[in-house]
Amino acid sequence: MNRLSQLALSDEGFVFDPQTGDSFQVSETGIAVLRALKEGRSDEDIAQQLVAHFDVALEEARRDCTDFRSQLKNFGLA
Amino acid sequence: MKDLAIGVSGINAVDNPGPGIGVARSLKEDASLNARIIGLAYDAMEPGLYMDWVVDRSFIMPYPSGDGGAYFERLAYIRDQHGLDLLIPNLDAELPLYIKRAGELKDMGVGTFLPSMEQFKLRGKDKLIEVAERMDIKLPKTKVCTSLDQLIAAVDELGLPVMVKGSFYKAYAAYTSTQAVSHFHALVAEWGYPVIVQSIVVGEELNVIGLGDGEGGSLGLVGIKKISVTSLGKIWTGVTIKHRAMMEAANRFIRELKWRGPFELECIVKGDDVYLIEINPRFPAWVYFATGVGVNLPARLVRAALGVDQPPAPDYDAGKLFVRYSYELVTDMVKFQQAVTRGEVG
Amino acid sequence: MSKRPYEKPVINKLRSGLMNKFGWSPAYARKVRTAIDGVSVDELCGQFGSPLFVYSERTARRTYRQMFNAFSTRYPNVVFGWSYKTNYLQAICALMHQEGAIAEVVSAMEYDKARLLGMPGEKIIFNGPHKPMAALEKAVSEGAVINVDNLDEIVDLETVAKKLNRTVHVGMRLNLDAGIYPQWSRFGFNLESGQALDAAKRIARGGRLKLNGLHCHIGTFIMDPQAYAREITKMVKFGYELREAFGFDMEFYDIGGGFPSKSRLKGVYLPPEVAIPGIDEFAEAITHAFSEALKPGDFPKLIIESGRALIDESGYLITSIVAAKRLADGTRAYVADGGVNLLFTAFWYKFNVELDREVGGINETSVIYGPLCMNIDAIDEGIQLPPLKRGTRLIFSPVGAYNNTQWLQFIEYRPNVVLVTEKGEVEIIREAEDITDITRRERLPKHLELKNGK
Repeated sequence: MNRLSQLALSDEGFVFDPQTGDSFQVSETGIAVLRALKEGRSDEDIAQQLVAHFDVALEEARRDCTDFRSQLKNFGLA
Repeated sequence: MKDLAIGVSGINAVDNPGPGIGVARSLKEDASLNARIIGLAYDAMEPGLYMDWVVDRSFIMPYPSGDGGAYFERLAYIRDQHGLDLLIPNLDAELPLYIKRAGELKDMGVGTFLPSMEQFKLRGKDKLIEVAERMDIKLPKTKVCTSLDQLIAAVDELGLPVMVKGSFYKAYAAYTSTQAVSHFHALVAEWGYPVIVQSIVVGEELNVIGLGDGEGGSLGLVGIKKISVTSLGKIWTGVTIKHRAMMEAANRFIRELKWRGPFELECIVKGDDVYLIEINPRFPAWVYFATGVGVNLPARLVRAALGVDQPPAPDYDAGKLFVRYSYELVTDMVKFQQAVTRGEVG
Repeated sequence: MSKRPYEKPVINKLRSGLMNKFGWSPAYARKVRTAIDGVSVDELCGQFGSPLFVYSERTARRTYRQMFNAFSTRYPNVVFGWSYKTNYLQAICALMHQEGAIAEVVSAMEYDKARLLGMPGEKIIFNGPHKPMAALEKAVSEGAVINVDNLDEIVDLETVAKKLNRTVHVGMRLNLDAGIYPQWSRFGFNLESGQALDAAKRIARGGRLKLNGLHCHIGTFIMDPQAYAREITKMVKFGYELREAFGFDMEFYDIGGGFPSKSRLKGVYLPPEVAIPGIDEFAEAITHAFSEALKPGDFPKLIIESGRALIDESGYLITSIVAAKRLADGTRAYVADGGVNLLFTAFWYKFNVELDREVGGINETSVIYGPLCMNIDAIDEGIQLPPLKRGTRLIFSPVGAYNNTQWLQFIEYRPNVVLVTEKGEVEIIREAEDITDITRRERLPKHLELKNGK
């Protein structure tokens, strides 16, 4: 989680990792998930939060959170 | 004069530079044009995006692929949001699309000044024999091959070494027939038929940049010699020259083909003999060299596209030196972020 | 508070040189198709299921007329031979015949198909390297145009001629160097080596056959109109040599097909709209070279065997995403309900892929797999797509050529094929298969019947 906490997030969906110099583009929902992860929230919590703000079913949101985490892992961010 | 929004592509001023920055800089230097430069880039790392003293506003473009639909939608967006009076495409890969759809651009209210499709095809390497004849200029002995048999016969006839060239791009020297055959296969796989075989002429490599008005008249010509080139073969230092035979051939090129738009002729000169090596149907990356010696071809192109009368191109002096150099700029990450997230900078 | 539209969360790493994804401007990057010829994709799938092949009658007829006019206005004595192998669905063949094409078949099965459809023998061109004796006899007695492929077939045809006690007119298939690589030398007789002349000698000596036409087919997806010009010039020259040497008069020159469609060949630099010459350029090069080569007063029939260029762009395949997954390297992958089993041409073309709806979000490099349990079943291995939900439909085009003839019957049923008529009505032209199509020809020996089975 340490690398996650240092990421610089912009509302426009641009993410900069000051440790490695890597940049990322992230969707609006992705930014929301990243912010929540930085706060240390659980996957279930985050999925609930997505459902509260966006037009999405809980089951789909849960799946997408798991998938997003695997994307982060893939980039060495989680 | 109201400001003129001019789209310029090829703003990738890197070690293998596109012509865009040279074109944009030339337009900026003609203050009476009041040009606002719209940079068209394909990658968020093209230096032109960050050179705000040359390029006023930049946009990331989709590649000019498919039927060009996405590309044209993007152009329409730029026109609607920021105005777009004129476009100067500077990259080879863009030209077929621009030429094919120049009419639609005109309907969109966006001017261009390009050769016709017939003219564009004439500069293809398989048509150089015809063009050289009309220009009354020599051509290294050239054979157009559409089969392996023809290639082998051509190599036999011309004698080694030879240049083996693709119909669009790429050229390789072959010192043995085995090499010629393997280049032939590689070129066919990448570019298709025909493949061109040329004997190698040894001499001085001289170039001409020019602009034709489409009716046989010249809007300006500048001859140069490359003094040194980079490892990629790009000019680093050069000098203006006035080789009479080459300049006359360039004038005949404009007159005979009624060439419309910018061009570069690559020649090899051996005494008074001028051999034509290649025709590029666009400005070369060193276009600013001509501007620097008083012949601002991009600005003249803009006036020609707008139908403004202009005096004959001024003369220039031979012996003016061109020195390219490296320089750096430091800016904020925000511009990069804008390029990535919004697809536009400025 | 109303909820905002949802896009799936995506993170992409930015890499120099690859920063042109246009992920943030959906309008520029995504192609959406909600209808084919005015009939909605939803309605089509609702009624006929997914996957679904859809043909546009309007596009097919328009393409035929454009192409036929391109030739007939330049050389009026022209006939199109509809290449059955490209697509031998009856409705498609009938449509081409209604437009005026005769049939070009390359096997006994295709011959039967043309006859079944009501084409008389004299309106069938019989090509191909395998013409069984019985098929030859039938074709000869029904007056079909037969193009001879090899010496053994000459012997067979002489046997037929003897049996029927008549002189048989035949065409000769040539292969020649038209500057196209690879040169198709396995079909017919080679021109440059003198093989074709030897075969003509053999035919003349036999006395039972008469050569009255020449046929050639230089390859497929030929992008250089001049190749056809070289082909026809050589053919006509050879025709006059035959007249000189044996008194054979050429009534037709059949230059084959191979004209490209707007399919995008993998690995070709320029987009098809720019790289592929228009049909007028082909027609101009061919008819010009033909007229130049012919002697004054000669006006033989010019036969064009076209398939791909006539039908490819009329065909679409609608598929649905049945699953989304992420591969070990992070690549997004989708499983569609139709794959290479239905789109055999996926092996060499990159299709135009359209979505049935607007989808927001960042584009990711994605892979589209088909339903087969095999690694080769990938329709597109590097396409930029926003994250898609299960059930999203992908529409592939152009797929009208070669897919409905080369599709595989492997583990899946083949789906419905429909035609959107010029009036906008939808007709099934081939029903979806069920288990009886798979088992109908099978026989289960008595001792293998399962006890609790039927």
